Amino acid sequence: MKRCAQGLCLVVILIISSAFILDKMAMLLAGGTLLAGLLGQYLLFDHRFKQIVTSLEVHRSLERTQVRKGTTLRIATTVSVTVPPHVIAKISEILPVHAALQDGEITVVAEPALSVQSYQINYRITPLVHGKMHFSGIALEVQNAFFSDQIDLSIDPFSGPDLIVQPVGLFDPASKRSTLETMEIEKMTAINGYGIRALREYYTGDDMRHIDWKVSAKFNKLFVREYTGLVNRPPLIIADLPWRDTPHSKEDLSRMVTAVAGMAEHTLRSYPFGTVLLISGPNILHIIREEKDLQQCMSALREWMHPVERTVHLYHLRDRADLRAKIRHLDNQDPQAGDGGISAFSLSMKKHYLSVLQHMKAPAFSGQIARTISSLEIDECYIFSTGCGDLSHIRQIVRMAKTMKIRIHLRMPDLRMYTIDPAGSGHISADTVEAFL
Amino acid sequence: MKKTVLSGFGFPAGLVAGVIGITVLVPIPFGYINLILLALFGSILYVTRTWHDRAFYLVCAGEPLVIGCGAVNLWAGLFIVWMLAGIVCPAMGIPVSASEKNFFLLFCCATFFIAMIIQASNHVLIPLIILCAGTALILTLKAVRDYQLKKQYSGESI
Repeated sequence: MKRCAQGLCLVVILIISSAFILDKMAMLLAGGTLLAGLLGQYLLFDHRFKQIVTSLEVHRSLERTQVRKGTTLRIATTVSVTVPPHVIAKISEILPVHAALQDGEITVVAEPALSVQSYQINYRITPLVHGKMHFSGIALEVQNAFFSDQIDLSIDPFSGPDLIVQPVGLFDPASKRSTLETMEIEKMTAINGYGIRALREYYTGDDMRHIDWKVSAKFNKLFVREYTGLVNRPPLIIADLPWRDTPHSKEDLSRMVTAVAGMAEHTLRSYPFGTVLLISGPNILHIIREEKDLQQCMSALREWMHPVERTVHLYHLRDRADLRAKIRHLDNQDPQAGDGGISAFSLSMKKHYLSVLQHMKAPAFSGQIARTISSLEIDECYIFSTGCGDLSHIRQIVRMAKTMKIRIHLRMPDLRMYTIDPAGSGHISADTVEAFL
Repeated sequence: MKKTVLSGFGFPAGLVAGVIGITVLVPIPFGYINLILLALFGSILYVTRTWHDRAFYLVCAGEPLVIGCGAVNLWAGLFIVWMLAGIVCPAMGIPVSASEKNFFLLFCCATFFIAMIIQASNHVLIPLIILCAGTALILTLKAVRDYQLKKQYSGESI
């Protein structure tokens, strides 16, 4: 019941009470007729509410029926309804309990119409836990000037289908890690560069201009130089979107969006195609793979470039190389230089680092990044980040890219974010670091 | 475009004619109060012409007029109620059109029935008990129907 109807109920009670106290028939007539009018309106509204409920039809389709935890999934729901005159119906999707809404509207307002009207609800969710996820139906709210009522429609035609969410481990099995460091990335290409990547023995047919006479004289054999290849491949653009729950500067995010869009546009204009990888912390959200159309690329960026929910966190995870560097640093300290307390502390720290190093596993994110990058032919990579919160995932990307001999260019809103590391967990060894323009 | 039964100024004109008629035909002491209440209702009808919730103010301004005219003659009071309903319905977004006049006629029948019960009684108590019992019965039936609807569409666990 809305405020207007509540006021009228109060008027009815006042008039009828006065009629009873004063024994005035005229007052009873006024109160009784008003009560009759109010009840009539209520019954009429209820009749229209039932008409709407019986006319409702819902068809829900999922982009996929099985996804991994943390994957963003598009849902499209078509609602058909006939809304009688003088009422407005609000139809909302009831989201599964353990799913976060990424974007889109889950409520439509149906206006009165004589025939059946169809409405489309499009949104994206991210499952936060694994298991079977059930779409439990829709919520209907109907209101007019005096009354409002709502009902959750959870029976079979309105609910479903089920979404199966597969679990994702936080760490990869140790056996997979060894293959990542043995990749051959230097290849022969049609156009030679200026750098020398190898020397080998001369074979008949080799270009005489490539013979290295100095080395040949030294070993008394003919050696030829193998030059590095010159390639013209588009760079990979990685956009690290901020976590929705982390306080971040909207201005910085806006600058980052502009910078990513500018970089993507430049890439698509300079190269045949461009690839943009969208991540948020250690969560791979989407990849715009080898896109040739600038408009499509921009519309995809518009769709994705906003703060998102993160399902996986690295919690300032230290890198193995950083830990080894710390241990080396502790080993190199002169035991005679400090007092006994400092030496004991260094020793306990070293023990702690060794113990962490012993039980440390490679995060699943490293494996995902390695698989993604190795499937693309790239020589350089631009990482755009707002730099707020945990930066462990950027360190993981940089380390993985370095093993593949890929040049990394880090772009942040402020260079102080790069130099001041709150976790103190090591330096991000990017080739270039620049602030957004 | 739907054809209205008493479109435009039909109901306000009926209301004015009714109040002036009852004041002239049945002279009572302080009979001019009904005219003052009519003027008050008219000014509220004019002032609230653009308000979206004017129905509430019109009902509040109209009830003293119903009581005043009902005190002179019960059937005159009932006539004022009908005219008032005809004015308030379009304000609520419910035009008294040809297709929806059934609801208006139903309201007129129900109020006529209430007026008959009041006319037949000597004191307020018995018609008041009948009114309260009727309201309670309607609300109970509504509650049962609501439960059935929720059970049918929301499943067993409500």
